[in-house]
Amino acid sequence: MGRTLPLVLFAFGAGTFPYCVQRVFFSTPMERQMGTVQKIFYFHVPLAWIMMLMGVVCGIAAAIQLRRQSSRAEATAIAAAEIVLVAGLGVLITGPIWGHATWGKAWTWDARQVSTGLLWLIFAAYVLVRHYGAAGSERLAAALAIFGAIDVPIIYYAVKIWKTTHPDNNVVGTLPPEMWATLWPCLAALLAMSLGLMLTRIRQEVAEISLDEGWVRIDDVVRSMTAKDDGKDADKDDGKDADKDASKDEE
Amino acid sequence: MNDATILLAAPTPGAGANEAAPAAGAGDYEKVEGRDRETIECQRACEAVAADKTASDYSHIVWAYGVIWALFCAYGIFLWRRSQRLADDISALNRKLERVR
Repeated sequence: MGRTLPLVLFAFGAGTFPYCVQRVFFSTPMERQMGTVQKIFYFHVPLAWIMMLMGVVCGIAAAIQLRRQSSRAEATAIAAAEIVLVAGLGVLITGPIWGHATWGKAWTWDARQVSTGLLWLIFAAYVLVRHYGAAGSERLAAALAIFGAIDVPIIYYAVKIWKTTHPDNNVVGTLPPEMWATLWPCLAALLAMSLGLMLTRIRQEVAEISLDEGWVRIDDVVRSMTAKDDGKDADKDDGKDADKDASKDEE
Repeated sequence: MNDATILLAAPTPGAGANEAAPAAGAGDYEKVEGRDRETIECQRACEAVAADKTASDYSHIVWAYGVIWALFCAYGIFLWRRSQRLADDISALNRKLERVR
């Protein structure tokens, strides 16, 4: 199951992707105001949803790891954070490309853009601390992940609280049925790919933690064996010295 | 639209430059429904703007979709290389275990 599920998800994502492209470019009507460039929406929005979902997953897993010291929760938090980085980078690149085409400016320092950028930076910091942090830095990393998860509702409500150039959250709810029918397969394909990658990364991290433990144990065994051998040698040497002393005394 | 009716003179064989043009409605003229030059130029300019926008939109879409799938592929390759490294590490650990035994 552990190995099969990611493969099933990858196969589903790879199979759905051509259907998504066919729907986006050939079956979905053109948006009247924005024209062709609106088609970025079908991948930009699902990526943003995935980024926020993984941010919350990472925050919860980091909190569990902080409380229970669970290696599985640790692996889940690291994998989810890396998916946040991948999906977040996708959102932060496709958003400005779309903004450049429709607003005439790629980055407007709008509240949603800034809070999304902040989320990405928090999870980048989390991944860096996990990678290069000294022993005991897991607590700092977990705090970062929880802080990042708190940023998710801020991203969602940013367009309601502040005046922004970014469209508000009602856009998705008011889509015509043909656009909905295209958005769902795109979300399914990207979510399947992200989950597949995340499960693979979790397996790798769990294996890496077990491997580290294995190396530590084997080093302990080797060290204790060497110490035993040294002890035996020392005993032999002591015995030889005692014999020598005894023979000297006899003389 | 500023449609206008223009009457175009059909060339008549043997008609000289100095000869007076035949009277309209005498059968030598053909009525053509068309547009004046200004309207046609304006329409072409609008079409050019629309074509430029479509081309620019397509280039934006290609970039956006390319970036998304490149990112996923790059992460997939990163994971694949990592799994190779892990497999090497596992076999090194197994070798050491055999030596210890």
